[in-house]
Amino acid sequence: MLLYTWNHNRKEVLWLLTIHNLVKRRGNREILSGISFIARPGRVTGFLGPNGAGKSSTLRILLGLDRATSGSALIHGKAFAELPNPLTTVGAALDGSGAHPMRTGRAHLRWLARAAGLPRSRVEEVLEIAGLTNAAGRRVGSYSLGMGRRLAMAAALLGDPEILILDEPVNGLDPEGIRWIRTLLRERAASGNTVLLSSHLMGELAETVDDVVVIHHGKVVADGTLAEVTGNHSTLESAFFALTSERGGDVS
Amino acid sequence: MRAFQAELSKLFSLPGIWLAVLIGAVAPAGISALDSIAQKEDIVAGISTRLPEAGFIGLVLGVQGVIILGVLAVSSEYLTESSESGAGHQITTSLTAVPSRIHVLLAKAGAVAVISILQCIFAILTTVSVTHLMLGEYTPSFEGSRLLGTVCYWVFTALLAFAFTVLTKNALIPLAVLLINSSLVSFSVLLSKITKLAYYLPDRAGAEMFMVMGDRIHTPFTGGLVMFGWVAVLFIIAAIVFLRRDVAA
Repeated sequence: MLLYTWNHNRKEVLWLLTIHNLVKRRGNREILSGISFIARPGRVTGFLGPNGAGKSSTLRILLGLDRATSGSALIHGKAFAELPNPLTTVGAALDGSGAHPMRTGRAHLRWLARAAGLPRSRVEEVLEIAGLTNAAGRRVGSYSLGMGRRLAMAAALLGDPEILILDEPVNGLDPEGIRWIRTLLRERAASGNTVLLSSHLMGELAETVDDVVVIHHGKVVADGTLAEVTGNHSTLESAFFALTSERGGDVS
Repeated sequence: MRAFQAELSKLFSLPGIWLAVLIGAVAPAGISALDSIAQKEDIVAGISTRLPEAGFIGLVLGVQGVIILGVLAVSSEYLTESSESGAGHQITTSLTAVPSRIHVLLAKAGAVAVISILQCIFAILTTVSVTHLMLGEYTPSFEGSRLLGTVCYWVFTALLAFAFTVLTKNALIPLAVLLINSSLVSFSVLLSKITKLAYYLPDRAGAEMFMVMGDRIHTPFTGGLVMFGWVAVLFIIAAIVFLRRDVAA
């Protein structure tokens, strides 16, 4: 069994993301049934699972957007809402661009910069990093999915945060975009930052992540380094299918 | 303060808000001009019953601008991007930039209130000027207290629209209900034919801050107080819902 039991310890560690025994019920449906894992600084942690497994719910709870029924999801030992200036600590990119379609990409980043007390010059910097400088004056509604994702990444990088939390960051990106994200995330981790990203695309992820947490039906079914989770399987992908097929528990 | 500046920046970078500001700023003067033309003969002959309303009729209808402002300020956060674009919402970005929801709500309400005040002051200036231009020496006096009442009416209406939209998350229902109510069919006026309680509805009570009505039961001050009560109660309900609601819900 690849499933690690993780001893929760309440010590606050810098830039650590700690999810402990997270349960989320919506109506009668249990979306998360006691999720526990940690994402460490200096590493890219991949949060894998099929669609509907509870990945986005977990990330939304971690970001204070949804409430957990029980359990905790802490950033640097604190709930998200207690972070003094969150954009400089946590950069997040969830669905789509996260911007209003009638606003220009630049205007979107500018109001964010104001909210975080960052200079306007930083907006131009992240536009450059995301390769959006030429599209910055266009309305977000005219962007392709990939450009919208780049804008979301630009927003996440705005405060140069120690932690990145990304929901399906490579979704909709062209090969060049995927390569850009991959390089970017490796660089962030190499400089000691914490990166947590969710995905259902195993192939894209195997080359990017250090640690892997696999979730299925709201439960963690595997948690370890890439090598540990891949185990005897030829690829992460085949390990993933073995873990998330109905006989997932038999895999060793 | 940063959150407030961010909310102002958000509002002014939306084309829909400019439309709302334009309507609020221009429509009252236009409507008052038309009304003055229509009424001028009666006013000159001294038989107009609506002289005290001159100018103010435009300011009542101009409140539509701040209704759109209040609604769009909230509904723009919840507008879903097309599914091809990833079906995201701006609210997730807003709440990860300023994690205290009450700060987000107050900053946004503050931005709406400030824009409404400026819009109303501009509308008053243009409306009074236009009415003077049209009616000349027959122009009734615009008392300061009634003008102050107008400003309060606009701000309260904007905040009611705001709080209403926090509850619905969608622009359609609040826009339809509030715009129809403030222009074509006033539900409170209709209801007042049936029950006295209708005089305590926010638009009816609030209008008594500056309109001279034949069948009034409030003083301008108590009328304003009743409307403020509605704003406070609805805002508190909206705040509780906003603080507790999952973004995904």
